[in-house]
Order: sequence, then structure tokens, then C-alpha cells
Amino acid sequence: MWAEFKHALRRLRGRVIGWSIGVGLYSLMMLFMYDAVLEIMGIEELLAAYPPEMMAFIGVTDIFAIMTPPGYLDAYFFGYMTVIIGIFIVGAGASMLVGDEERGILDLVLAHPISRTALFASRALALATATAIILLVNWLCWAIPSGQTQLDLTWGQFLLPFIPLLAQLLLFGALALLLSFLLPSARLASMISGALLVGNYLLMGLYRLNDNLEPFVKLTPLYYYQGGQATGGLNWSWLAGIMTVTLLLAAGAWFLFQQRDIRVGGEGGWHIPRLARRQTG
Amino acid sequence: MSEQMAIVTTGLTKAYGPVQALRGVDLAVQKGTMFGFLGPNGAGKTTTIRCLLDLIRPQAGRIRVLGLDPQADPVAVRSRVGYLPGELNLETNLTAAQALHYFNDLRGNQIDWQFVRNLAQRLQLELATPIKNLSKGNKQKVGLVQALMSRPELLLLDEPTAGLDPLMQHEVYRLLQEAQASGATIFFSSHIISEVEAIADRIAIIRQGVIVEEAEPHQLISMVLRRVRIRFRQPVNARPLAELPGVSLLAENELHITVQVEGELDGLIKALAAYPVSDLETERPSLEEIFLAYYEGEKATKEGQDVG
Repeated sequence: MWAEFKHALRRLRGRVIGWSIGVGLYSLMMLFMYDAVLEIMGIEELLAAYPPEMMAFIGVTDIFAIMTPPGYLDAYFFGYMTVIIGIFIVGAGASMLVGDEERGILDLVLAHPISRTALFASRALALATATAIILLVNWLCWAIPSGQTQLDLTWGQFLLPFIPLLAQLLLFGALALLLSFLLPSARLASMISGALLVGNYLLMGLYRLNDNLEPFVKLTPLYYYQGGQATGGLNWSWLAGIMTVTLLLAAGAWFLFQQRDIRVGGEGGWHIPRLARRQTG
Repeated sequence: MSEQMAIVTTGLTKAYGPVQALRGVDLAVQKGTMFGFLGPNGAGKTTTIRCLLDLIRPQAGRIRVLGLDPQADPVAVRSRVGYLPGELNLETNLTAAQALHYFNDLRGNQIDWQFVRNLAQRLQLELATPIKNLSKGNKQKVGLVQALMSRPELLLLDEPTAGLDPLMQHEVYRLLQEAQASGATIFFSSHIISEVEAIADRIAIIRQGVIVEEAEPHQLISMVLRRVRIRFRQPVNARPLAELPGVSLLAENELHITVQVEGELDGLIKALAAYPVSDLETERPSLEEIFLAYYEGEKATKEGQDVG
């Protein structure tokens, strides 16, 4: 299992380095912009002039909260990092096993003395570790140079919002993994998971403008996402709920993988019978 | 009895949706044998091999590999088996050596690396080359090395010489014979009749998911049709030859005769002793002809049953 974990992590290293550098540079830029934002003459009037719809979509309900460290973190980083880093984990989750199956690699790997459970667990752990490394780098990008700015938070306070962010990302990664076993291709699973993630993000934006949507958004993961507000402390019940759903999705994916015939050369492909008939007819 | 068997399958049945891939495959492969598994494309060869490794699960039937149930204890089975898939795909961003190290890690890092280097040398495989830069034949060599390198008790090889040149094919035969000599059982699928003849102790023919014949290679070949072309020193009446049991006339002129012989050649050879033969040429049946012979036989049997 350790051998497979190391190998899976090594395969993800290019993406981890790329995402860490890319998002890390953005984190540094946003950190050093904080002082500049505070020093803008008439910033309060400027913010008040923004259409509330626009601010709602970046996760800001109280326009003046943007001047506070949690509000600033929300508006300029955590509010939409679920979607940005979500692109990485949804793609990696969907192709974690089915991607290798489609390339014909999984056949030979599973002919070696490794159980399906060990393979699944090793790769899932590697994916979670890769995501955690990207977030860790970003935390360091915020925390280490923060003393040079007026963003007055401790390292621990900077760390806290990354925990619910990681939980949300793992949930959408697990969803992509589950869908990859249900849908005909890893690419389709990735697309649908990504669409659900973006759809959830947009729905949250609409909800901030219209309270009537609350019964619907309560059924979605991002409703339980603290974002930058987690600097003041974690909502443990939300976190536990998100982790429980993540584990259930992962357990479902594991079950489907256990039952699965490993495909090669189009064996056992999934198709819609009516469409297939129309094509052949 | 079961301790002497490397592979036993009984009533193995597998369907992919509406497609029935295996319809009750019964196989028994003794330990230490080189077993050739023949069949046309889509006959069920690969499906059978992949069931043995629990890569796919049959709907019905019983499987024992080295006395173990692959579904109940897949890791124990795979730790004793080397496998070469029919459609070999490897991670292209690794070198051959890195891919082999990875497979070695999956086997618990127990492989003698000197043996791996020897295998690579004999197959003329450059281990430092990235897999993406390897030709199909060289990728096949990586697959062969990974299958052989753990010195497994059982080798499951799906088309082991596919993509290799004739010299390399012979080197692979030697490697397999050496593995067999050291006690391994080899179960391989092939389309090449000369390959099967050269190395297999026993063969089975699978067609449409059913084993239609199992025999020693020479028995199988002798059971099917072959063409014999005979040249005479002087004009003769060769008609009596065509009236021998199992012999039918295909073409004739004063100095030549071409006949088709079903089964052994013994009767024809003995009859030819009375003729002034200057040359005799036999044409070995191709694998396709063997299949055809079986299909025709099966069809005739079925038609007979339908009439009956």
C-alpha cells in the first residue's frame, strides 16, 4: 500500500507543484494588496457603489466587512477557492482509477499482489495529501509574510479557514470519484462534478440575494462552508457533516470499485440502449 | 489431484450485457506444462485469462488457480502469478527501469535485479529509455520482463510474442522453456500455429466462449485436413490414391497430383510405395484452417442433430 501511495503521489507531483505555485503567487499578491486596499481614499464609498449582486457572488453580504481580515480573506481568496482548486481535485478524483482503466494501465497494476481496497485507499490518500500540500503552501504564503502587512491574524488563524476548504474539496473529489464509476468516462464524471460545484457556487450567490432559496441551498455542501469566517473558530458540526458525506461518497465509490469488471478495449462499456440502437440502426 | 493442477475452471460463464463471452469454459492445466490457448478474435481467450486474475468476475462457474480461489484470495493468487496482458499499456512518462521498479515495489521489493538485467539483455531492451519512446515490440519486451522477473509459479501470457521480430520470438520461446524447466506453468494464448507447435505441450481451442478441443499439438494438427502435392517420375494413373479413406482429389495431371488428406498421412504414404515418386510436398494447415475444420465439424454435427 505504501508503494502505491508513493507512486500515486509521485504521479501527482507536477500538478501539485503547478497549482501550489500558481495559487500561491495569487495568495501573496492578495496578501500584499490588503494594505493598499485599506489605504485607498474613499474606499468605503467605492464599495458602497458596487452592485450588491456582484458582491453576493464573491461571497460578501456585508459590504463593509471586506475591510476586516475575515471579510477580506473571504472576498479575495476563500470565497471562490472551492471552485478554483476544485478544478484540480475534480479532475484528479475522476481519473484516479477510471482514468488509468481507460488508458489500459489498471489491468496490469491489478494483476500484481495488491488488493482493490489497498489500491483504492492508497490513491485516495495520495489525492487527499496532494490537495493538502497545495493548501499548505498557500497557508504559508499567507502566514509567513503577513507580519509585513496590516492583516492582523496569527498563523493559526490563517490556518483555520483552510480546514473547511480542504473538507469541501475532498467532498467534491469524492463525488467525482463516485461518478467516475457510474458514468461511461472519467471525463464526463469530471465535467458533471465540476458543473455541480460551479452550480452550487452560483446558487450560493443567488441565495445571498434571495432568502427564499434557503431550503434548497441547505441541501448543498457550500451552504456549510465557513470560508474566511473560520478565522474566528471552526464550526465543528458543519465540518463533521461535510466529512461524513465525503466518507459516504468515498465508501460508495469503493463499493463500486470492488464490484467492477476492470475494462480493456471497450469491454463492458456503459451505453444508453435507445441511443445505441439509433446509431446502429 | 487438485494439487497437481495449476488452473482448473468449471462451467465458467461471463457475459458483457447482451454479449455472451464465455459459455461454460472447462479447463484443466497441469502444473509444469506449457499450455497453448488458441482461438479467433473474440472467442473468449482474454476474458478467460482475466477471470483467472479476478480482473473481471464471471457470472457462473468455479475457478481455481494454484489451488486458490482468485475471487476469495486475489492477492495470494497474484503474488504467485506473472501476467502479460494482450493489450499492454504502461505509464508513458516512466522509463522501462522505473516501470519495472514500480512493479517490483508492488511485489514487495523481492526481485533479483540482476535477473531483470539479464532478461533485458537477452531481449535487447534498453532499460533507461522512456516508455513513450519505445516501439510496440520494445514495450512488449518490458511487459515480458515484468511478467518473468518475479520467477512466478504460473505465467499467464496473452499473445506473448505479439509485435516481436522472429529472432526475438525465439528468444522468448527459450525464456519460457527455461521458466518451465525451473518448474513454472505457462498458459499462453496465441494465433501462431508454429509457435504453439514449437513450445506447447498441450493446447485448447476456444470458440464462441466454449472449449471445442483440447489435445497435444501434434494430435490436433494430425486431426485436421492437409494438402499433399506429389510429383511422379513418369506418367501414372494416380486415381486409386484418391480413393483411399480420408483422401480426396484436388487436382491432377500426368506427372502431378494434389490431394487433401484428413487425419494421418500413414495410409497415403504406404500406398505411394507402389508409385515412382520423385517429390512429395505437404502443406501444413494454418490455424485458420484448423478453426475452420472444427467449425465445419461442429456445424455438421449440429445439422445432424437438427435432422435427427
